[in-house]
Amino acid sequence: METIIKRDGTPAPFDSSKILNAVNKANKAVGEEEMTSTDLLFVTEKICRTLEAGKLRHVEEIQDVVEEALIRYGYAKTAKAYILYRAEHTKIRNAESYLMDIYKKLTWSPALEEDIKRENANIDGDTAMGTMLRYGSEGSKFFIDNYILPKDASAAHISGDIHIHDKDFYMLTETCCQIDLLPLFKNGFSTGHGYLREPNSVESYSALACIAIQANQNEMHGGQSLPNFDFAMAQGVTKTYRQEYEKAFRAFLRIAGSMGRGRTPAVSLPARAFAGVELRMGMTEAPELFPEPEHASGRGSEWGDLLREAHAYASSEAPAVTDRRTYQAMEAFIHNLNTMNSRAGAQVPFSSINYGTDSSPEGRMVIDNLLRTTQAGLGNGETPIFPVQIFKVKAGVNFNPGDPNYDLFLSALKTSAKRLFPNFSFLDAPFNLPYYKPGDYNSEVAYMGCRTRVLGNMHDKSREVTCGRGNLSFTSVNLPRLGIEAGGSTDKFFSLLDDRIDLVFRQLLHRFKIQGAKKVRNYPFLMGQGIWLDSEKLGPDDRIDEVIRHGTLTIGFIGLAEALKALIGKHHGEDARAQELGLQIIGHMRKRADAESLKTGLNFTLIATPAEGLSGRFVTLDRKKYGELPGVTDREYYTNSFHVPVYFPVKAFRKIQLEAPYHALTNAGHITYVELDGDTSKNTQAFESVIRYMHEQGIGYGSVNHPLDRDPVCGYVGVINDVCPRCGRKEGEGVNVEVLDALRKIYPDVPVR
Amino acid sequence: MLLDTQKRTEVKDVHKTVGENVAFERTRRITGYLVGTLDRFNNAKRAEERDRVKHGT
Repeated sequence: METIIKRDGTPAPFDSSKILNAVNKANKAVGEEEMTSTDLLFVTEKICRTLEAGKLRHVEEIQDVVEEALIRYGYAKTAKAYILYRAEHTKIRNAESYLMDIYKKLTWSPALEEDIKRENANIDGDTAMGTMLRYGSEGSKFFIDNYILPKDASAAHISGDIHIHDKDFYMLTETCCQIDLLPLFKNGFSTGHGYLREPNSVESYSALACIAIQANQNEMHGGQSLPNFDFAMAQGVTKTYRQEYEKAFRAFLRIAGSMGRGRTPAVSLPARAFAGVELRMGMTEAPELFPEPEHASGRGSEWGDLLREAHAYASSEAPAVTDRRTYQAMEAFIHNLNTMNSRAGAQVPFSSINYGTDSSPEGRMVIDNLLRTTQAGLGNGETPIFPVQIFKVKAGVNFNPGDPNYDLFLSALKTSAKRLFPNFSFLDAPFNLPYYKPGDYNSEVAYMGCRTRVLGNMHDKSREVTCGRGNLSFTSVNLPRLGIEAGGSTDKFFSLLDDRIDLVFRQLLHRFKIQGAKKVRNYPFLMGQGIWLDSEKLGPDDRIDEVIRHGTLTIGFIGLAEALKALIGKHHGEDARAQELGLQIIGHMRKRADAESLKTGLNFTLIATPAEGLSGRFVTLDRKKYGELPGVTDREYYTNSFHVPVYFPVKAFRKIQLEAPYHALTNAGHITYVELDGDTSKNTQAFESVIRYMHEQGIGYGSVNHPLDRDPVCGYVGVINDVCPRCGRKEGEGVNVEVLDALRKIYPDVPVR
Repeated sequence: MLLDTQKRTEVKDVHKTVGENVAFERTRRITGYLVGTLDRFNNAKRAEERDRVKHGT
């Protein structure tokens, strides 16, 4: 025999020593049945003869003969080792071809053609680092499926019974965190790459806020949120106001002195004259500056007059300058979060900010300027897509006329009607209100941009707080599949659902154990800088299992509407009975989560899953399995969580009524959308009535979608159907430069090219 | 001379257009996040966005 045939069909020269080596390796692995070199040569010789006699040339055939020969000549254990070795290599080869197929797609297909490159809409799959991230992600998923996950969980994920979110990060980290900037900024902090001093102006506060979000995002697999943005930035405003007040105050004295009043008192005012003196916006009395300068002794009354005049001047000058600087700080904040890179440059950080309840003059200044800069948009008037902004609605603070921040609520409505942000969270919702303590931001519910909510705490009832906590991981159940498999029997549905829930809880705990074994040094910022609750009590080599018990382990769901369709032929938008059953199903899931929480002392919670890639994945698998079922598998997506299907015509108020009860059940997060037509910025009344109705109905977190288009050529922002209302071009058409120049004289936001 | 050249260029520029093949930007919300262009949506989400109906008030 001169040649053999390799697996890919190509010929290669026959080499008997390769057989000898393989047998030798298998024998060595066993440790008994010792084969001398004579034995090895003998077996190899026999194998070669069998191959010649049978004219066997294919690699797989050769390996079969090796196995048989080893068994025949009494080397059973060696044969077994050889078989294992062979199986292992088959697995690796399969892995290789599977992974290599994916890698080829990632490498050579543009994102527009390959769905796999658009799994996450905010990652640019065409860039070097975006592709690198996908290589890592796909390799990791394969590893997790084949070597880490319990067999049943892995099989259930692959077949589409459940979906383990962020599976590629299974061995690495947690989902998200609500960051309290105030303790972080106090006395400065380190990002793990360098040390930053405590910030001293609103500009620095906003810049370091971005740094903190970016640093934390790189240590977790989900998004980051600032639950108290207004309270945190207000301290920066206070410091800026102080600077501006002191500057104006001294300038006044200097000028008054040069005009011959009070003998150059500016010189006499010591450098630390304001140290320890409180300077706040709206202060009516002139500060008492001690010690009184020597020059002034004996001229007390003139000095006193001068100080009062300087105070009046500084009090009128400093707020305007502080306001301007706050605007610029907020503008920079939003620009940064839309442009700064995270995760090796593959994306911008997924950032969210919550605000609206700080009614101090400084907090109000932050909110006002943030809203104004959001309305103005980015450099060319583009809509900022980050951070996700969430305005916290609270009666008595900002919801009704006469509330201290009512004007800011109105401004938030106006901003959202133009820019889609802010969304609105409702602190008065029956499940959010019990936690609320007036003036304590740590008791106010906050939402992650994706909708995640973390507030209750079964692990430590005395720490039911917002800051320093987040979700650990979540896994979703494919509800439509259960609906199909139940074949019209609700009893069967609930029994199948219980099986799935059992599996998901087991899997979440499996992951929790892996997460808990990590050490503080694995998260130099999140844990090393004490951002996560109680992590400041740990040393770099301590395990994190105790502190991450403050986080949530979450079960989610998708496609309640399709599940109901499969079960009783109607979804909850169509039929009251379906709504009743829908509430039973989600209520049951919540009860199971509560019971598991009670049993384990861990925060098992229920989320209305924010499904991006999943909405298509489940339905594709189910269509393959069950065919095209009308109302169930006949679209390209499953309906998000408990939502009334997007294609179903329903009035806005009715949709809110139908979805509100599910908010009360989904304690790990929820959102309700209303789609309004036309340019809502021209009809804010309709917009406001929707938000007020959400408040009334007990919605936790809601938002209004409306068309928001922009023509990059002339800078028009609003609704564009076929023709741009400003420059008159259709999509893809050119515009005369003279026309653009003329437009620029009317609209300053026409981009310059 | 120089002025003449400038004038000629300006006259030519009157017929110059910009923006050919430039698409309109359509900002939409997906799972809570805004996305600046529908191109980045995956196939299922594109279909979902297409199917969305408006809710009257």
